[in-house]
Amino acid sequence: MDYFFIIDFLQSLVDGLLFGTTYALIGIGFTLIFGVMRKLNLAYGAAALAGTYIGVAASLAFDAPPPLVFLLSALGSGVIGILVYYCCFRFTPTHYPMASLLASVGMLLFIDEVVIHASHGMPFPYPSVFRDATIELGDVWIRGDLLFVFGICVVAMAVLFWLLYRTPLGLATRAVSQQPRAAALCGIDPTRVNLLTFGIAGILGGIAGAMTAAAVGVISPIIAMGLTVKGLIAVVIGGLGSIPGAIIGGLLVGAAENVFLLLRGVTERDIYVMLLLFLFLTLRPGGLFGSSAGRD
Amino acid sequence: MLTLENLSKHFGGVHAVDGVSLTIHEGEIFGLIGPNGSGKSTTVNLITGLYAPTTGTVTLDGYDLTAMAQHERTAMGVARTFQNIRLFGNLTVAQNLWVAQNGHEQRRAHFLPRWFKAGGEHSPDIDELLKFSRLHSKRDLPASALSFGEMRRLEMARALASNPRVLLLDEPAAGASLEDGQLLAERIRDVRDRGVTVLLIEHMMELVMGISDRIAVLNFGRKIAEGSPAEVQANSDVRAAYLGSKHKDEELIHA
Repeated sequence: MDYFFIIDFLQSLVDGLLFGTTYALIGIGFTLIFGVMRKLNLAYGAAALAGTYIGVAASLAFDAPPPLVFLLSALGSGVIGILVYYCCFRFTPTHYPMASLLASVGMLLFIDEVVIHASHGMPFPYPSVFRDATIELGDVWIRGDLLFVFGICVVAMAVLFWLLYRTPLGLATRAVSQQPRAAALCGIDPTRVNLLTFGIAGILGGIAGAMTAAAVGVISPIIAMGLTVKGLIAVVIGGLGSIPGAIIGGLLVGAAENVFLLLRGVTERDIYVMLLLFLFLTLRPGGLFGSSAGRD
Repeated sequence: MLTLENLSKHFGGVHAVDGVSLTIHEGEIFGLIGPNGSGKSTTVNLITGLYAPTTGTVTLDGYDLTAMAQHERTAMGVARTFQNIRLFGNLTVAQNLWVAQNGHEQRRAHFLPRWFKAGGEHSPDIDELLKFSRLHSKRDLPASALSFGEMRRLEMARALASNPRVLLLDEPAAGASLEDGQLLAERIRDVRDRGVTVLLIEHMMELVMGISDRIAVLNFGRKIAEGSPAEVQANSDVRAAYLGSKHKDEELIHA
């Protein structure tokens, strides 16, 4: 192994870890929703991307500055998250978990079709910031745009942790995830907690979608599948229901993706990332941080 | 104050609760007893709203609770503890109380400012409840780190944090020794002295007979007796019901 290979490897690893924070956010979103409802919302990645398009629309309509585009992407995705809750989860019977799961698959395809129709399937430019800035650490360069992505995602996580651990809303959310029956008997309205969780998860997804598009500089409908699949792999690796697990899982997926990109090329990259999914599901189905603690 | 009228719950052909009517008066400790499978737990679940009754109504101070969801009944003043403890294990002791206090209060005030306001676990109300439950030194420990007895005390404190009118205690002595039972009896009296009406569902006869003002006995989902502890103990139907289940009989006679 020569010096240049090691540098290339480290460079891939650093890029991957920085970008992996977007997968971590998507993973956290899956985990939050699963935590309060014990249901998987497969439309989540598509809803996040659709929200990101709302930012694009603002950018096209009145040439909105990048921070406003990012903000509208996040909020738009929060709103779509709440719509998904009402369409797929609020009124489907709780005793048939398949109903909401299939509804969310249908919603995934529906949102995808709407986005393709509205955008004519064409990629749009998405604002990217600090594109030309780099920080040089010896021969490894840290890209400014990726550092920005990383920074925004870390701030989003910090705000989420503050919400979950310091505010009544967060405590109510955690109470519902741990003991839904006792939480209801503490006067907590589970519907309201579910609604807010979908909204907050949606905002996180919108941030992840915006940052993904910002890192690439374009937005296209195919990003939705990547967000969904990589986010799911992140939670499988980390353990569904664990927020620290989703963060670690997201970083690992980001790192693995870039290392496979270096070693095997762009067309083979995702094949190996998918193999990670089966590896974990077979050998460690609970994930790294999977809790065995049950609830009813 | 709490009135059950002709309350029934049928699961398929099983009549778990069958036409039960009860009136629990303000400020009393009311014991609800009966052999295993007599419908006590189902009755509790009908009062708190986990099940919708097949027939009948539940009213509190004249307000009909029958159509309300569980969290709405909590806001009306119904609280309960669980036989198998259901604490929020990852939350601290104080946060467990804060959640209950807040879940209750958020219905009164506009919820957004309240739900994003940090640090509410340091309120005087919560301090008072922690002292009342002798959990003050453990306030910042996760609830899962408590001993069994402490968990039971925290469950009761959490139920009190929602500021209930009536507290349903579902077998609070389960797993407790006889000495613990004595302490528990004092605690239940303390709760009543705070102005909370108590509905006690319990197997430990000594406890129920010792502290209840009145007692109702269920068997096969029907109420077979109601009255003072002495009246209930003297009731021949009650003796027959407990003779059917061997272990409880001795407890009843010796209590």
